[in-house]
Amino acid sequence: MSRAAPGRLGLLALLVLLVSSSAFAITIGMQLEPPILDPTASPAAAISEALYGNLYEGLVQFAPDGSVLPKLAEAWDLSPDGLAYTFHLRHGVRFHDGTAFDASTAKFSLDRVLAADSVNPQKSRLQAVRSVEIMDAYTLRLSLSRRSGGLLQSLAWGSFVMVAPESAANDATRPVGTGPFRFSEWRRGDSVTLVRNADYWGTPARLNQVTFKFIADPGAAYAALMAGDVDAFDYYPAPESFAQFAADPRFAVFVGPTESETILSLNNRHAPLDNLLVRRAIAYALDRHAIIDGAMFGYGTPIGSHFPPRNPAYVDLTGEYPHDVAKAKQLLAQAGYKHGFSVSLKLPPPSYARRGGEIIAAQLAKVGIRATIENLEWAQWLDQVYARHDFDMSIVAHAEPMDYDIYARDDYYFGYYSPEFKALVAALEDTVDPDARRTLLQQVQRKLADDAVNGFLFQYPKLAIWNAHVKRLGFDNVLGTVDLSAAYDDLARPLGSAGAAGGGTTAPANARPAGWVGSAIGWLAGAGAVGLLLLATRRFGMVYLGGRLAVLAGTLIGATGIVFFIVQVMPGDPVRYMMGLQADPDAMLALRHQLGLDSTPLVRYLHWVGGLLHGDFGSSYTYHIPVGSLIAERLQVSLPLAVYALSLSLLVAFPVGLIAAARRGRASDWLLTGITQLGLAVPNFWLGLLLVLLFAVHLHWVSAGGFPGWSAGFWPALQALTLPAIALAMPQAAILARVLRGALIDTLHEDYIRTARAKGAGEWQVLWHHALPNALIPVLTIVGMQFSFLLAGAVIIENVFFLPGLGRLVFQAIVQRDLIVVQSVVLILVLVVVLVTFTVDMAHALVNTRLRSVRVS
Amino acid sequence: MTRASSRGVGFALGTVITVCFIAIAVVAQFWTPFDPQALAILDKLQPPSPHHWFGTDQLGRDVLSMIMAGARNSVGVALLSVAIGLLIGVPAGLLAAVRGGVVDDLIMRGNDLVFAFPSLLLAILITAVFGPGAVNAIIAIGIFNIPVFARVTRGGALDLWNRDYILAARVAGKRPLRISFEHILPNLVGLLVVQGTIQFSLGVIAEAGLSYVGLGAQPPIPSWGRMLNEAQTLTALAPSLALFPGFAIVLFVLGLNMLGDGLRRRRSA
Repeated sequence: MSRAAPGRLGLLALLVLLVSSSAFAITIGMQLEPPILDPTASPAAAISEALYGNLYEGLVQFAPDGSVLPKLAEAWDLSPDGLAYTFHLRHGVRFHDGTAFDASTAKFSLDRVLAADSVNPQKSRLQAVRSVEIMDAYTLRLSLSRRSGGLLQSLAWGSFVMVAPESAANDATRPVGTGPFRFSEWRRGDSVTLVRNADYWGTPARLNQVTFKFIADPGAAYAALMAGDVDAFDYYPAPESFAQFAADPRFAVFVGPTESETILSLNNRHAPLDNLLVRRAIAYALDRHAIIDGAMFGYGTPIGSHFPPRNPAYVDLTGEYPHDVAKAKQLLAQAGYKHGFSVSLKLPPPSYARRGGEIIAAQLAKVGIRATIENLEWAQWLDQVYARHDFDMSIVAHAEPMDYDIYARDDYYFGYYSPEFKALVAALEDTVDPDARRTLLQQVQRKLADDAVNGFLFQYPKLAIWNAHVKRLGFDNVLGTVDLSAAYDDLARPLGSAGAAGGGTTAPANARPAGWVGSAIGWLAGAGAVGLLLLATRRFGMVYLGGRLAVLAGTLIGATGIVFFIVQVMPGDPVRYMMGLQADPDAMLALRHQLGLDSTPLVRYLHWVGGLLHGDFGSSYTYHIPVGSLIAERLQVSLPLAVYALSLSLLVAFPVGLIAAARRGRASDWLLTGITQLGLAVPNFWLGLLLVLLFAVHLHWVSAGGFPGWSAGFWPALQALTLPAIALAMPQAAILARVLRGALIDTLHEDYIRTARAKGAGEWQVLWHHALPNALIPVLTIVGMQFSFLLAGAVIIENVFFLPGLGRLVFQAIVQRDLIVVQSVVLILVLVVVLVTFTVDMAHALVNTRLRSVRVS
Repeated sequence: MTRASSRGVGFALGTVITVCFIAIAVVAQFWTPFDPQALAILDKLQPPSPHHWFGTDQLGRDVLSMIMAGARNSVGVALLSVAIGLLIGVPAGLLAAVRGGVVDDLIMRGNDLVFAFPSLLLAILITAVFGPGAVNAIIAIGIFNIPVFARVTRGGALDLWNRDYILAARVAGKRPLRISFEHILPNLVGLLVVQGTIQFSLGVIAEAGLSYVGLGAQPPIPSWGRMLNEAQTLTALAPSLALFPGFAIVLFVLGLNMLGDGLRRRRSA
């Protein structure tokens, strides 16, 4: 007895430990989805936001104040002449795939950045590196061609993390690093899931599973937090409701600085903005506090130059141009613009820019500057403002840490040119001594403020919100990442059926467990179509059918032409979008070639159509996977949603239509007709919005949106589709009910109905047995049209409920200029419409041969 | 209440609502209680009050004034997109009916082609090409009105071509195109008005959808769809912001639909 008891207790303790640890799973909301998961091949901040420090690690890392701390390199020395760094690497580090980390893997990672065909977006930051040498298994030396004061800081960036030679090529879709979490699954358009790395070299993580869920819309982000769909949001995109979360005891919040300077960028090339007096006048015209109050609801620190306030070298220059309308007018008059002038103000999508733009336009108007606002999506912004410099003013947050060097670039979009400033930057690059660097950095700030290069507005705040039971999430860091290494969940919540990840095994093989649903539906539809076709051939003969099929084919060919043409003339360069603000020209050329974008439009068209003919839709630019599998993934949401909504629509429309027809002219008909009128008038997105507010945010009955996947089980998935299906179905049900009522009443005037009545059939019997079968013909047409509408037209509803469906795929692809995806998905939707129309026509003709004789004649 | 009178009530109500909204749109051109574009950050997110009947938005603008100016935008976009449909669709439909054969086939296949595209997606694509804005929203919605009017016109015209008085005109030696415009078109006006009302109401909803996703009129021009989008994150602070623009859309569309139904019944009666 006495010997057995401790054993049992131990077992019990182990069980408790297992149960509680396997319950540690949290979901974090992110605004943007990473295009790929390899930070060394794409500048998208979202990659590092989720993966840096969690999955990937670099040689060094930033401390919260911007200084550099050891990571995979335990220590380093700089040679006295400043031309060689020697890194002493940590022992016992392994990549998630088992590869040992040592000097040779580190050399591989850095050589990959420096290679001629490298697509690394920050390649130019390592320009000074001449060679990387292995001194011994754990010692690495970087020889420099010139002194580089910023090199160590650069190595802490997400673009220079360590990768393993065997897996580096697949990091875009299946990342492998050395961090405390390893990759588990990526549901495109929805989420990325990481699981705990049990073999981590440092202190292992306490969370077992972390899911990053992508919610672009600020409204949906609000709803997702309120409904508990996400446990945290690291860059909460709706500052207007932040105070509400701060006051709510269920939530904890963090307000911190970022490295992001929000500026009113001025095109220094364009008159009159090339005039220093005018730029200073603009600086006086701006009221930073009103801008921060209005655009950011008070969050954000005013800045007077392009420099983050938390940096030790920061000087407060906000007093250089206090808000002073009279002074601004006086300067404008002095510059010869007594009556002001007109400019364009081109704004990217984030709310700080859109709302800030409206406020700034109003402030500029007070001194006589008339700014015309033009709202652009990112791809258009990159094309017009960033690449072609076709703008006067814009508002944008420059997120990169220590990016003052952009003011030394001749071809940079705001076009500032100053030899004195360039000399300052060159001196900084050559200076390693901290005190000398601080002095130079302060001169940099002063020079930019004196020249009033841009309107310096505020340091963008990091607004993070999380459920109070989640502890020690790390938000306070220079790169703006979420540090999960110490986080844990105070309330051990059941994992749910979503992921039995437990011990941290990865199972990419079953990433698409419900693929068979889609293919089964496809096969069924195909079989149905062939059956119908055979039947139709027997009824109508080959000639009629051949004609119909020729028309069908013609429509499809026409559609390929139209789609391709629209996509070609769409402004915006996909490569520019993918590479971002600091793109390296060589890397861009390499990528353009890799995507086949350097061939002529005709070649690309033929290539695309040729591929389509044997079922190859091409490969997505952003996701780097075949478009076909992307579409199959999304169809698993869109198809069931369309079927669900259509079923609801029929379920509501039939009783309503029948009752209204039976009681035609009476009060109940009047009432039902009134209700259907109302149903027709309610826009589905507004209905969706109201449903979310009522059932998710206030009552907590269902989640506010998102889709757990069919692998989470039938009911959870169906539940996630219920509100969107209702929102989609109601207007459709109203249409259907009206059509049904009208058709029934029409048939009731026919002779055979009178005969039936004369034989003594009751009102319901007449309706049900005699009128309904004939009234079904117009109803069938509408049902067919509605199905294709529901499949394609759910774009807005998918955005309201952030469902990863086909519509949202196209919408995102348009925004990201993932042209091949846009082309292929639109064409597939056209195909569906054409096939449904054809099927309905055939069904009609089969039901009603009279129709055929009319058509044939 | 008898059937006829209830229908009469619907028609009357529809007419009153439609006229009211159009009147509001016209008035908003010259006068609104406040400047719908004037910011007053200090007065932001006020609840409805005697001073601001519908409250103020996140930038302190008067919501009632914005709804009025939004009506102007909504009416303008929907009406002009109907005009595009009429101007191109009606001649195309008349031509198809007169010429028949290859011309008819070409026009009708062109119609099929436009109908084959999911309307909202094509509208989004078009605004992606031309950039967002009220004018491009008009074009995007107008394109879908063309085949609708072409089809209705062609159907109606084919029906009329067999009438006696048209035959008489033909015998008198009038050219078919002249007959189309002198005799056929005037007889189609009723049909086109009914269809125009339906397309008008669909246009109002489509405009709201486009501006909800940010592709309609650009700020500072107020639009109902964008007001709804901006209200989404503010529902806890100012729930009325998500309600008023929605009610405006529903009421206007309801009025247009009742008017359209009434007109159709009058024609068939």
